[in-house]
Amino acid sequence: MLVESVTPELPDTKTLKLKWPDGHNPEFQTGQFITLYWPDAPEYKRAYSLSSCALDRGFYEVTIKREGKMGTRIVDWAKPGQTMFVLPPAGKFLPAFEPGKQLICIAGGSGVTPFRAFVRDATKRELENKITVLYSVRTTNDIIFNAEFHDLAAENPNFNFYVTCTRLHPEDKWTGRRGRIDAAWVKEQIHDLPNTVFYACGPNPLVEFAEQVVLHDLGVPKTQMKTEKWG
Amino acid sequence: MSNVPSDLKYAKSHEWVRVAGDVATVGISDHAQHELTDIVFVELPSVGRKVKAGEACAVVESVKTASDIYSPVSGEITEVNKAAADDPALVNREPFAGGWFFKIKLSAPAELNSLLTPEAYQAQIGG
Repeated sequence: MLVESVTPELPDTKTLKLKWPDGHNPEFQTGQFITLYWPDAPEYKRAYSLSSCALDRGFYEVTIKREGKMGTRIVDWAKPGQTMFVLPPAGKFLPAFEPGKQLICIAGGSGVTPFRAFVRDATKRELENKITVLYSVRTTNDIIFNAEFHDLAAENPNFNFYVTCTRLHPEDKWTGRRGRIDAAWVKEQIHDLPNTVFYACGPNPLVEFAEQVVLHDLGVPKTQMKTEKWG
Repeated sequence: MSNVPSDLKYAKSHEWVRVAGDVATVGISDHAQHELTDIVFVELPSVGRKVKAGEACAVVESVKTASDIYSPVSGEITEVNKAAADDPALVNREPFAGGWFFKIKLSAPAELNSLLTPEAYQAQIGG
């Protein structure tokens, strides 16, 4: 697929827009990932969650941090007009948009990217599902899609976007939440526990911590939680 | 359930250590390779490099993520496994055999005592 654009999100994170070839019209689901490789290195593949949703047609978007060989090559060197090979979307990290379900999405770092897809999808379809994104970042400089999430929250009355900063300087002017995600904060977001589905995506320690909070501290059954770890 | 050989020591960060005399061979556990999924790139340290216990000295990258590999012990790198760099999937196929990462001449053998036993590591990864 052709690289249509490369958009900086943060100094070390960019969104890659990949144009579908003419006549390509794949069926896939919001929340899935695609696997990428360069034509000159077919053995070296990396999977990235789609940050675009299934209603975004004609292109895929993935939002990539400079990490590892692939992340470095994409963030530092990818340019419009280049070609990348793309394996079809796969994965089961899918939003539970059944009527009456609430989604509480816990993200760390670039783990927020599939939740951008969730919220874009729900907002475009004007779904009534409540969606809350709880986003843990080190500092205010690390918030990916900050403006877009706030725009989506303004547009979609069922969506709430909350950020917590874990490593801010004490004198920083940030007026939002500080510190790690904890059970009390998650609990505040729950309206109807039996109809709430929890998601966690990000580095292993954050996802494992989220599992501890949701499954152990809040006693939620495993069937109500979906996680995506990075290893 | 992941394989945890009983003749090895383990680091909390999922490396294993096999000791023969004053040389330790280091790799990543079956649990680690399983969590990483398909490994696509292995970067090894230079032979002769001196490392401290807990120091990042190699990189393993899978289709999902890139992770540092930490030396569980201090010493000097004496040999690296070029076969794993040439064929990263070897780490998935044989994490405790052909997929080893590097050998290190121990400078502080007592550090081995602070590594996890197989039982303790098994408990860490959830039995």
